[in-house]
Amino acid sequence: MTEARFDELIHQSTRLSIVAILAAADWVDFAFLRDQLALSESALSKQLATLEDAGYLTLERPLRDHRRRVRTKLTPAGVSAFRGHVEALQTIVGDRAEVPA
Amino acid sequence: MEGRITPLEARAALDAVERGHRRVADEVGLPNWYWWGLALGWIAIGVIADLGNTWATSAATLVFGAVHAYVAPRVASGRHRTRMLSVKSELAGPRTAAFVILGVAGLGVLTVGGALAAAADGAHDPATIASLFVATVILLGGPRLLAALVPRELAE
Repeated sequence: MTEARFDELIHQSTRLSIVAILAAADWVDFAFLRDQLALSESALSKQLATLEDAGYLTLERPLRDHRRRVRTKLTPAGVSAFRGHVEALQTIVGDRAEVPA
Repeated sequence: MEGRITPLEARAALDAVERGHRRVADEVGLPNWYWWGLALGWIAIGVIADLGNTWATSAATLVFGAVHAYVAPRVASGRHRTRMLSVKSELAGPRTAAFVILGVAGLGVLTVGGALAAAADGAHDPATIASLFVATVILLGGPRLLAALVPRELAE
């Protein structure tokens, strides 16, 4: 079971939505995130850069459509941080019994 | 941890997580070209069957089966409906592929039954009529049935 760990970086509403989408997919195209979250390209790029700097996701260009497409996916650290954050949220709302330290 | 946000705020955040999950779950399915290919192939076999040449019908059925056997494993997982994302296998689930395989088998039975019924009714081109009906079922019902039947829960 994942350890509950509140993550301030992920908790910001836009970043939480981004990471929630990425957590359910192997990879997601930049345009999908932009359209689903109704964000401008610059706003999305800024949030992705923040998550990338934290080591939570990677950006890559597929070999085909190299110029136009950018894919992003969570790193193992990002997956772990997201799961820990969801556990922490569930603990706060009372869906999970908190494990004593 | 408890002092950072209230339970209400945590619930709102969990709802946002669930919405993100749903956005991806909504993308589970097969590409449009698969449904169109299946429907057109079905009609082609029906038309060829009505020509009355057993060899041609057998050959067309074999070619169709071979092409489907090549294509289906690449798309039947339901993870790549579009080129915009790859859905996690835990989310698409094994039921998507099972639905496709059972669905094609069911459509075969439906086509034979429909053709026999049309022939008994005195239709001139019973296999064509039955395959047109089944092709319509594929195009109108396939994506919707798949969306309704495949579970949308991500295993933790």
